[in-house]
Amino acid sequence: MLIDVVMPQLGESVVEGVVVKWLVEAGESVAKDQPLLEISTDKVDAEIPSPSAGRVAQILVKPGETVPIRAVLAKLDTDPSASRPAPEAAPKWDEEIEGVPGHMARTSEPPIPAPPRVEPSAPPPPPPPTTGRIRITPVVARMAVEHGLDLSKIPGTGIDGRVTRKDVEGYLASEASAKEAHSAAEASEGKPAPKAAPPSSALSSEVPAKKPKTSEGKPPAAEGDQVIPWTPIRKKIAEHMVRSKQTTPHVHIFAEVDMHGVAGVRAKAKKEGVNLTYLPFVIHAAAKALRETPIMNATVSGESTVLKKDIHIAVAVDTSKGLLVPVLRHTDRMSLKEISAAMDDFGARAKSGRILPDELSGGTFSITNPGIKGNLFGTPIINQPQVGILRLGQIVKRPVVIDVDGEDSIVIRPMMYLCCAYDHRVIDGVAGNAFLYRVREILEAGDFP
Amino acid sequence: MLVTYIEAIRQAMDEELARDGNVLLMGEDVGVMGGAFKASAGLQEKHGADRVVDMPISESLIVGAGVGLAVQGMRPILEMQFIDFISCGFDQIVNSAATLRYRHGGQTACPIVVRGPSGGGVHGGLYHSQNPEAWFCHVPGLKVVAPATAYDAKGLLKSAIRDDDPVIYFEHKFLYRRIKEEIPAEEYLVPIGKAALRKEGRDLTVIAYGAPVHAVMKAARDMATEVDIEVIDLRTLLPIDWATVKASVRKTGKVLIVHEARLTGGIGGEVAARIAQDCFEDLDGPVMRLGARDVHTPFAPALEDYVLPNQEKITEAIRKLAAY
Repeated sequence: MLIDVVMPQLGESVVEGVVVKWLVEAGESVAKDQPLLEISTDKVDAEIPSPSAGRVAQILVKPGETVPIRAVLAKLDTDPSASRPAPEAAPKWDEEIEGVPGHMARTSEPPIPAPPRVEPSAPPPPPPPTTGRIRITPVVARMAVEHGLDLSKIPGTGIDGRVTRKDVEGYLASEASAKEAHSAAEASEGKPAPKAAPPSSALSSEVPAKKPKTSEGKPPAAEGDQVIPWTPIRKKIAEHMVRSKQTTPHVHIFAEVDMHGVAGVRAKAKKEGVNLTYLPFVIHAAAKALRETPIMNATVSGESTVLKKDIHIAVAVDTSKGLLVPVLRHTDRMSLKEISAAMDDFGARAKSGRILPDELSGGTFSITNPGIKGNLFGTPIINQPQVGILRLGQIVKRPVVIDVDGEDSIVIRPMMYLCCAYDHRVIDGVAGNAFLYRVREILEAGDFP
Repeated sequence: MLVTYIEAIRQAMDEELARDGNVLLMGEDVGVMGGAFKASAGLQEKHGADRVVDMPISESLIVGAGVGLAVQGMRPILEMQFIDFISCGFDQIVNSAATLRYRHGGQTACPIVVRGPSGGGVHGGLYHSQNPEAWFCHVPGLKVVAPATAYDAKGLLKSAIRDDDPVIYFEHKFLYRRIKEEIPAEEYLVPIGKAALRKEGRDLTVIAYGAPVHAVMKAARDMATEVDIEVIDLRTLLPIDWATVKASVRKTGKVLIVHEARLTGGIGGEVAARIAQDCFEDLDGPVMRLGARDVHTPFAPALEDYVLPNQEKITEAIRKLAAY
């Protein structure tokens, strides 16, 4: 029976995705839940599992194509034995087979000659897609660094399209000969040299088709320049940043926060074996202040402001795949330790690309923490359709004047500039300033449950 | 001089008995009968019943007596009729012989050799087919060797006898009379702790020892048009010649380890782990292992073939690794 492999809805707000790469070929047998292809959406990248065991009858979408959700990606024959003389799963040596003599006799036959993937004189393999995840081996990672290679340009011939050492060596050799041919042709005839290397010529016919619509034609690239086509995530970030700046008059205000009280709580927690960073404190304080300043916990919808009932703070996390902004649901109901644990969890999963699309949507306010190298302060861009965002600056020890028993005294305190951006269409200065002032008060009070 | 593997062992003992009056051979049936496999044929006649000694059926006694003699300056060769029974002498080896030098602050030594036929492929059943070398590689103070050729069998046994520390010498009974080899007529030694590069290759390295070395060499020849295989014969399992192993891994980037012993807890695990740690950035594929299945060696030939590594399994593992 033929069944459809459809583009799943990878999250509430995801409407389409780009097919990055097929992991199987037409005609290949697949197990249930075996990954069939890689999809890149504007939020996350994901592998699409096979809905059933069977044989891939037809692949309908080429790598690089954008497809809406529920589009049919491939046809799967769930009963391949009916349509073709089925190879009755030839037993292999590494299969665990229960010890009955009949089975034994078969397994001791020599294995069917495996597809000889090792062919020193093999013709160049078909080019793999140029975006998405690249499978490599440790030695290839090292060689890529040594030679400054873009591994997405090297076709992998190993299992699952893995780029092997031989592939890199072959690529380096063909690059060198292509360069030679190029300069030789230019010198003798003064016209462009033929594209000698199959991988690079195949690549140049692939890339323009996949280029994001926002770029205009072929980017000018001088020799040695590196052209990095935008990934779907990059594209989304770019569009979002431009839109936010165009639609929202940002006002940036700053508070200088004495983190002495917070440092005390951290030190105490550390003694109890709990490592807390400064970020969870700021998240916690912001959630509390948002509850008291509802206008900051809002979204803009057309010409209306929607004051949100729930407080879901989105926190920016830097990952290898770009900036992700997972959302802490009901932040105001979370304890400090819960916030800290949730952030650790997001951080770990973001690194391995296992954050679900739905975890990235529904935020009502944002916080961005550029980390220890975040500099004095910065002016963040509001995460639309929200109306406010906080940015942590670097925490630095400074001499400050405080009141000790009615006397001015100079003490050394860990100080931080906290920047708040608010949407001046919706929020007036009084409310915006009151919010940031309150965040500062809560942090300086150092009273965390 | 064309000799079999077992003849090479006999010659090594004969030469060492003649060279050094402190060398003894002790074991079950080693004297009058010349050994169950005839490894000591004619030696008692030639060197006397006080130097080639028939012992009671007690491996604990054989090793224990050997340790005592060694402390007193003798160099006994202790034969296990089948290496499977070395477990009866286990305590004497790991707690007595292996610790002696350490316990005495280096002031005494224990120059014994425990040798015997190991390995399967001869339908010997579970008590006559074992490969227990990994047990001993876990014990500091011991040296463990496992020759694959007649040349090495002789050269390594002579080195083992002359070594001042206890050496466990695993000879492979499958090879006893199956290989014949030209060896030098003049005396030679093979150093303990040095692997042999059996074949140079560029694509992947297969590390083996004992009988599987021959199957691996055959695979390397048969698959020459497909993949260029480098073959390392470890020869000594404790201490392993890491320099040779690492140099090869750095060259080929892919490694398969083949041994006849069971996979779990086998030498291959140690070799694989060391490579993964020290050569990670040179690896072009996962370090792979092929060993016996984790079951006892069955008697029935078809089952034994199913359990032990064989030519087909080696070929398949090499293909898999080459394609990675």
